[in-house]
Parts: sequence; C-alpha cells; structure tokens
Amino acid sequence: MWKYLLRRSAYALFTVWVISLISFAVIQLPPGDYVSDLVNDLRAQAGEVSPEWEQRMREIYGFDDPFLVQYFKWMRNILTKGQFGYSFYYKRDAVEMITERLPMSFALSFLSTMFVWVVALPIGFYSAVHKYSIADYFASFMGFFGMAIPNFLLALIVLYLTYKYMGQAVIGLFSAEYASAAWSWGKLLDLMKHVWVPMVIIGISSTAGLIRTMRANLLDELNKPYVETARAKGLSETRLLIKYPLRHALNPFVSTLGWMLPSLVSGETIVSMVLNLPTSGPILYRALIQQDQYVAAGFILMLSTLTVVGTFISDLLLAWVDPRIRLQQ
Amino acid sequence: MADNRVLLEVRDLKVHFFTDEGVVKAVDGVDLTIESGKTLCLVGESGCGKSVACRAFLGIVQRPGRIVSGEILFHPDGNGATIDIAAMDPKGAEIRQIRGREISMIFQEPMTSLSPMYTVGNQIIENIVLHTRDSKEIARERTIQLLDQVGIPRPDRLVDEYPFRLSGGMRQRAMIAMALSCNPTMLIADEPTTALDVTTQAQIIDLILDLQHEYGMAVLFITHDLGVVAELADDVAVMYLGKVVERAPVDTIFNDPKHPYTQSLLRSIPKIAMRREELDPIKGMVPNPFRRPDGCTFHPRCPKAMEVCRHVVPSVTQLDPNHLVRCLLYESQEGRPDESAPAGRN
Repeated sequence: MWKYLLRRSAYALFTVWVISLISFAVIQLPPGDYVSDLVNDLRAQAGEVSPEWEQRMREIYGFDDPFLVQYFKWMRNILTKGQFGYSFYYKRDAVEMITERLPMSFALSFLSTMFVWVVALPIGFYSAVHKYSIADYFASFMGFFGMAIPNFLLALIVLYLTYKYMGQAVIGLFSAEYASAAWSWGKLLDLMKHVWVPMVIIGISSTAGLIRTMRANLLDELNKPYVETARAKGLSETRLLIKYPLRHALNPFVSTLGWMLPSLVSGETIVSMVLNLPTSGPILYRALIQQDQYVAAGFILMLSTLTVVGTFISDLLLAWVDPRIRLQQ
Repeated sequence: MADNRVLLEVRDLKVHFFTDEGVVKAVDGVDLTIESGKTLCLVGESGCGKSVACRAFLGIVQRPGRIVSGEILFHPDGNGATIDIAAMDPKGAEIRQIRGREISMIFQEPMTSLSPMYTVGNQIIENIVLHTRDSKEIARERTIQLLDQVGIPRPDRLVDEYPFRLSGGMRQRAMIAMALSCNPTMLIADEPTTALDVTTQAQIIDLILDLQHEYGMAVLFITHDLGVVAELADDVAVMYLGKVVERAPVDTIFNDPKHPYTQSLLRSIPKIAMRREELDPIKGMVPNPFRRPDGCTFHPRCPKAMEVCRHVVPSVTQLDPNHLVRCLLYESQEGRPDESAPAGRN
C-alpha cells in the first residue's frame, strides 16, 4: 500500500512538472507577445512608437530570453515566492486573480457535480432496474434532450425568463451589495441564493450523460451471477440491488471525480460569460486573447495541478472502495 | 434418514420467455418429484431448460421469463403443509423465507457467483442473519464452523478473505458453505462442477455427498456429465427441449434406458479402451428455440422415429412404478401393435 502511494505521488509530481512546461510553452505559441499587442494599441491611438522603445520593453519583460530561461525564472518565482507573475492587461498580480477566481470555479464545479450525481444516479438506477418501462423511455428522452441543448443557450433562456417573470435577471453569484464585500454569513447566504442557477445550467448536460452511463453500468451488473446468488439467498429486491449491483456500478464514478474539474471549467466558460460569473473561465479566456501570458499560464498550471491532485485522490478512493484494486498488485 | 417422503412435486411446469423475436418455451411441461434426503439428477444437453426449471423452483426466473402454468408443490417437514411456489409472488416475503433457508442453491460459475466487493464471511453471514435473526457474532462463529466443514483450510482467517483471492474450488466450497448455512431441506446444484478441473470436481462431488449424509437434505443436481450422475444419483430425470422425457432410478437409466434420447446420450459417452472412431454422438443439433419441431420434439434426431412422431405429442407412459417415459414407442402398446414397430431413419 505504501509503495503504491509513493509510486502514485511520484507520477503525480512528474505529471505536474510536464504540464507546467507544456502550459508555459503553449501560451507562447501564438505569434507576437504582449509588447506587440501594446505597440499595436499605441500605434492605433497616438501614432509613432520607436523600435528602440519596443526593444527596451521586450528586454524589461524578458521576452527575448530563451524559452528555458523564461520558464526557469517563472518556475523559480512560483516555487520560492509563490508569485505567478504580473497581469499586463489588468495591471494586477496574477496570483491575486487566481486566488480570487479559482475557488469560485472549484466551488461551482463541486456543487454542479453534486447536483449531477444527486439527480442522475437515482434516475439511472431506476431506468436500469425498470428497463424499457415508460419511465425509462421518458428518462432517456429527457437525457438526450438535456445533452442536445447547448448550456449557454439554456443560460440565455433562463436569463430571459427570470427577467421577464421576476423582474430581475439572475446574473452573477452575488447581489450588488455583497459583490466586493468581505466574506460573511450574509454573503454566503447570498451566494446560496444565486448559485443554483449556474449549478443547474452547467450540470444539466452532464446529468444527461451520467444517466446513460449509470444505466449502462448497472445493466451490465444486473445479470451477473453474484446478483442471482444474492437473490437465491432470499434478500429483498431493494436490499440486494443496493448492496450488490449498485455498489459495483458506482465504482467507476469514483474514478471520474478527478477529471470532472477541467471539463466543468471549460464547460462553464461561456455560461459564466453569459451569466457574468466571477469564475476562472472568462478571465482565462480574456488572458489567452490578450496574450496576458502569466495569468493564462498561472490558471492553466493551477487547474492542471488541481486535476492531477484530484485524480490522485480519486485513485486512492477507488482503491479504498474496491478491494480488487487494493489487494491485487 | 431417507423416509421416501415427497419433498418437492412439480406438475406440468411451464416457463416461457417472452422476447421480441417470439416466445421461447424453455420449460414446457415438466413433471418431477424429489424425495427428501434423496438425490435427483437432472440431465440433458445445453439449452434443454434444466437451469431455467431449477430457477423456477426458487421463483428466481429472470425477465422476460415467467412461470406461465403448472404447480411447484413444496412439502416442508412434518405437519403435511403444502406450499405452491409457482403461485407465489416472486418478489414477496413468503418466497424469500424459502429461498436460502428451505431451498438453497449453488451455481455453475464459482468465479463470479460471489461478489468481489465483500469478504466471503460477509456474504455467508448475511444469509444466516437474514434467516435466523442471530447476532453477527454468532453468525460469524457458525460461518467459520461451516467453512471448516466444507474443507477450507484456516477458516478463521479465510472468513475475512475476498473471493477473488481464493481458487475456483475454494470458492465453490464457500458457496456450498453458504448454501448449507441455514440447514436447508433441499439443495439445488446447477452444474456446480462444470467450471472446475477434474480433480476438484471429484472433491466437490464427494463433499456434497458427505454433507448430504450429514444434513439429510434432498439434492437436485443438474449436470450434463453422465459420469457424475452415476456417482451421485438416486434417481435420474432426462430432459429434452423443456420436457422430462424419461425418469427412473439411476440403475434403470444406465442398464435399461427406454427413451431413444436417453439411449443416445448413453451411447455418446466415451469409454476407456474404446477406439476413437467408435464415439457415437447424437445426430443433429438442438433445434432453434423459436421453431420447435411438431409432434415429438426429438423426432428429427431420433434413430427410431416413426411417421406418427411427426404430429403426435407423446404423453407420459408409466412402465413400472418408478419408471416413466415420454415416447410413442411405449404409448398404449396394446393399442397399435403394428405401427409401433420401430422404423429406422436414415
């Protein structure tokens, strides 16, 4: 067990390192850099910018250093000072923006995941046990329906409906008075009031998918001989379904926990823009457009690291719940 | 021990599967009696309905299968009370009192019949607690004792082991321990040795015989292995396409089989010192389940088929008090003396 833990941790560390290298390289791939953007802007406004000034800016920012030197400096600052660099566009410390936005994304992802599980797993379970019943067909239909609707469209519809019937659009995660206030019970309560809309909108398409997955997983298990053994014991149907096939069918979901985060973050970007949510998606998008490289790299690195950590944790959880993984090595 | 008391009486049992392609008559009029303390072997080729029939005895036929008619009369000990299992709600509390307690079952696949998620002990204790309401501690003691009895080494340690860490033979022993945990009056064994290697097969069969002597339960043993039949059976029922075609004590079946199908089955067993070419398999294949032949279902493969076999469904003929056969050759022999002369086919 300890050996397993150690090996997995080593893999995780290595993965994070590779990701940091890749994410730093990727954001430098587009032609030009922040200085060329800046020069373009200045030229559009005032006219002349001397090539010397441009060259000097590049030197200050270190854009002309070789890739590895830039990477090394960046990494050194993260590891020794916890600094991710500076946002050229927002004129702020990148780390501030990350700590402000990332927890929101994380919380929203977590809540959406919970919503998805709470809704999808029981429906999938029911669908499998009552295969080809009317309820099963209805669930399948709603599932495909939910999958087919783009969630930004759903967000727009919700905005329209709430504005039309409640007189106020459900935008953002906080009311105006709490938006920039410090955390308090009032703010938390206010968050609870707002969060369900994006939670449902972001979750709805994964809900549909998960219903299908759960149904398929469980159907696979329902005809396994151990279910028949349990039935031949005289266990009641509900009890045996929960103890045996459901337990087996749930295992795969534990391992999906880890990589739910990135898919939700990429899924929420457009929804967050529509609903004006203070999450990572929109700001990462803006940073990429503006070649605001330290913000972009910082977000990508942190998201990836969280994903790796999440996968690591879900692997441990899986080993914990499934004796086959725990004991066979 | 054996008091010749009838324990289970099956009358004209029909289990049909209602699929999109049509109705499969997996069990189509089975009659059987099982005496307490005795062993009945149910024999037949794959797909003849043996497994479905014995699942019906526990009310655990899977959808789209359903018991459509017939009676499964169960006479648990003493007082002459009779229960019709076929008439019970398969999910009801009544039948669940019988399953695992009065009638228990072991299955063909020891590798997958136990859940890998729980320890062997957990799965056996569950059965005991469910039916006896004993505390977990008492049930655990009993489980260790049972595991010891079925020949599992170091039972106090293996009780906490997961099934996938045991060999196939050990798992089947654990299944047997589970089946015996509530002293059943009847044990159904659905090809319990098919998935095991030959040495282990012999051990498991010996174990079942020993335990039967000790517990005095009736055993319904389903197999297609006639060697196993010779070793175990008191009585034999031969099934073909959902019907019992011959039923007799084991000696009669081996020495004086009457039904052409039984005769062919016996001829198809390879014997030691026999030359290879002499192996005599039954001609043809089990017919498509959706298109059963008219008349006697065996007639297309029967070496003694007559013209009349094509349209007339044979009924049961009692040759002597213990020997029943379902074949037109023996039906009302005084009625059609001439026509019934065997006409060879091919």
